[in-house]
Amino acid sequence: MYCIVSCVNAPSTQNDSAEKWEVQLRKGCLELAVLAALWSGSLYGLEILRRLESDSDLVVSEGTVYPLLSRLKTLGLLRSEWVESDAGHPRKYYVLTPAGKKRTAEMAAVWERFSSSMSKLLAPVSKGR
Amino acid sequence: MNIANDAQQKIEAYLTRLRRNLRGLRAAEVDEIIVELRSHILDKASAEGEPNAASVDAALRRLGSAEELAAAYITESILAQAEVSRSPWRILGSLFRWATLSVSGFAVLVACIVGYSLGAALFLCAILKPLHPQTAGLWVIPSNTGDWGLSLRMGFASAPANGHELLGWWMIPAGLILGTGLVLLTTRFVLWCARKYRQSRALP
Repeated sequence: MYCIVSCVNAPSTQNDSAEKWEVQLRKGCLELAVLAALWSGSLYGLEILRRLESDSDLVVSEGTVYPLLSRLKTLGLLRSEWVESDAGHPRKYYVLTPAGKKRTAEMAAVWERFSSSMSKLLAPVSKGR
Repeated sequence: MNIANDAQQKIEAYLTRLRRNLRGLRAAEVDEIIVELRSHILDKASAEGEPNAASVDAALRRLGSAEELAAAYITESILAQAEVSRSPWRILGSLFRWATLSVSGFAVLVACIVGYSLGAALFLCAILKPLHPQTAGLWVIPSNTGDWGLSLRMGFASAPANGHELLGWWMIPAGLILGTGLVLLTTRFVLWCARKYRQSRALP
């Protein structure tokens, strides 16, 4: 969440810095997005990527998500299990641990508070555009 | 699954480079990463039929170079380990791996070694002060050219000629507090750098 707040503080006077700001904003959300994708059940890496792309317009670099999953696992927020697939190779499925569920719920609550107060602030801007 | 020979070779070449750059992570962890990514590449490349050289190439491009991917794994591992335990030894261990992969990792390692050593020296000096009350401490020593230098002495040698000791018994609280503070500050600095590095690389 720190990232999101610090992004909001970043100046965005030019087109270029507006783009940079958007990138920072997306990066800040990635951890929550991955945790949220796993909320309703276990998924393997590629399924998580597809979920992020279909349910949101978060275009995510694949080389970012796998190391992130590995960190979330080290932190005890996720656990993983190997499942044999029809394709002939095993797939690593990730599941939220109880600590992971708790963290996801906390982060989601912060996000909702934050986005609803931002929406209030932005209402006049949207009307006046 | 049938897979063309050249496609298979491309996958194995990429995974070998990745494995080489992940050395230093725990072996079991590296093995899991390799199996997981092989599975990802095969799934990705067989989305539209049998995997071939072109579809494997496309899948590998989406992952980024093996070196970049390894650096991402290592910085994530530094950050995760630090959240679990802030032991300077573990942080230094991961930093050595990062240093072999990038210039920024090397610079952070050097800064970290300087910070930890100075912190440890201050702490040690405070502990040795009661044993060597006359000689341990922070000394101001004039040199022949008229300049003067500061020297942190553990007190094993004799007192320097013309020098005078600055802090006296204050060396004990000052050394303990500053030493500990410097070690903690260095750790925070390393984590800040790892976070910055992650932010600068993640996502297109």
